[in-house]
Amino acid sequence: MVARDQSSWDKMPDMPAGHFVSGLVYTDPDIYRDESNKVFSKVWHFACHESEVPDKFDYRVFVLNGQSLFAIHGEDGVIRTFLNVCSHRGAKLLDQPSGNARSITCFYHRWAYNSQGSCTGIPRASGYDDVKKEAVGLREVRTECLHGLIFITLDDGASSLAQFIGPALDRFSDMLTGQPLEVFHYNQAVLECNWKAWHETNMDLYHEFMHVVLRQTQVNAMPMEDRKLIVFDGGHGGSGGDLKAAYDGYDGFAGRGGDVPPLPGMSATDFRFINLFPSTAIISRGTVVRIDTVTPIGPDKALLEMRGLGVKGEPVEHRRIRQKHHNQYWGPFGRNVPEDMVAAESCADSFRNQAGRYQIIARDEKMAGQDDAILRAFYSEWGRRVGRDPGAPVK
Amino acid sequence: MSDHDAIRALIGKSCLTLDDSDFESYLALCAPAYSYCVRVWSPELRKDMIWLEHDRDGMAGVFEALPEHLQRSGRLSRLATVATIEAIGTDQFDVVSKFVVHHTDVEGRTQTLAVGRYNDRVVRIDGVVLLSEREVALETRDLGIGLHVPL
Repeated sequence: MVARDQSSWDKMPDMPAGHFVSGLVYTDPDIYRDESNKVFSKVWHFACHESEVPDKFDYRVFVLNGQSLFAIHGEDGVIRTFLNVCSHRGAKLLDQPSGNARSITCFYHRWAYNSQGSCTGIPRASGYDDVKKEAVGLREVRTECLHGLIFITLDDGASSLAQFIGPALDRFSDMLTGQPLEVFHYNQAVLECNWKAWHETNMDLYHEFMHVVLRQTQVNAMPMEDRKLIVFDGGHGGSGGDLKAAYDGYDGFAGRGGDVPPLPGMSATDFRFINLFPSTAIISRGTVVRIDTVTPIGPDKALLEMRGLGVKGEPVEHRRIRQKHHNQYWGPFGRNVPEDMVAAESCADSFRNQAGRYQIIARDEKMAGQDDAILRAFYSEWGRRVGRDPGAPVK
Repeated sequence: MSDHDAIRALIGKSCLTLDDSDFESYLALCAPAYSYCVRVWSPELRKDMIWLEHDRDGMAGVFEALPEHLQRSGRLSRLATVATIEAIGTDQFDVVSKFVVHHTDVEGRTQTLAVGRYNDRVVRIDGVVLLSEREVALETRDLGIGLHVPL
């Protein structure tokens, strides 16, 4: 028999545990709640790059776990993060995605806060007998910065960011800190899929074959066995050594990299990536960096945020070229990312009503080529945190 | 045909030809020195972003590569309304049009995909009006699963 009947289709794959994932991890509402409570409420989450809040009182609003937060560059130079919620009646304090606010004043009753989260003003405070400014500051969220990347955690008792990330970002330190970087590109998209379906596109090298641009610039740029992949404790994983790209293989990309200085520690044709558990990817193609973060909105909906970074203060012509390099692959009209989105939504469509039952992540190329080890490391950590077997998450 | 009528027809044809994936006809509407860019204001970064930028050859390359790429299924429909036409000398015009792009999926469901403005420079060459520059000033910043096709 080649094709399968329903019982065969429903049957758990005859593979070692960890080599397959149940489609329920994308759709089950109880699993989604577990992810919210046990993953996104606990982990360190990339919020923004320090260049997005360069000056005192600059702020940047973002969402995690359905909660609006903002990072603000304090008067004392420290970047802190707060829930974007007034202590008084719960109104949202900042309604623009970014800005500069010496004082954060709620529109509703004009309660005011400073950049350190202290309540600094309550109109007609004399009317309160039992409300003291000292007791109604903002809810601060732990914030740490590593290599210019600002991370936050909603868990006051979480271990440090350094412990959470371990050595996973070590190979990026030269690139991220050798020259000051800044974000020049930001876009977001609401995807009709579970957040993991998107993040898998960053962890799955095997799908290179889907992209004509990668078939022509990447698949044959170096021997598969020379590609080194690496996974870390905590579910992080990426390239262990630099991969190569042969840009001349795609019409219009010839000469890419010779026209602008590469980022520190990289050559123009190097390709390096790391996936940080649970939902951030950092990818560099020699001359430009992409950071993407996917945030759950619901079991079947996710917010994808994409950033492109170049060298801060570089000549206008260099910036223009870096933008072009970014857009060629990763822009909303690029050759790569829009196709990944199609794939993520397509898989979601199959799993939505359990037409698709399992996905296979069993490629073993001894940490080279297109090994699925990064996916397996991710799901191992996911299972540990959620307390469910990714292959059989619902008893 | 008056200059204004010719320009309106040019803008309309630029939409129709892209809708029909008739890229050869689209490029025939473009001057040899044609340039195209998609510009977006980012309230997150508080700066302009360029999302796509090509000269005429670059656009031709994009069109040529399209059949090999994985694209969202369905069709796009561009509707542009010319708002202003300003003559710059005798053979150049600055034209601003408002546009909306709808996407119709393979089941026939239509949704608004994007809105914005075409800021065009139109030139007259040998008595024919042609697009010399097109800046697509997008207001929509979430294009869903993205596009390969210029708007």
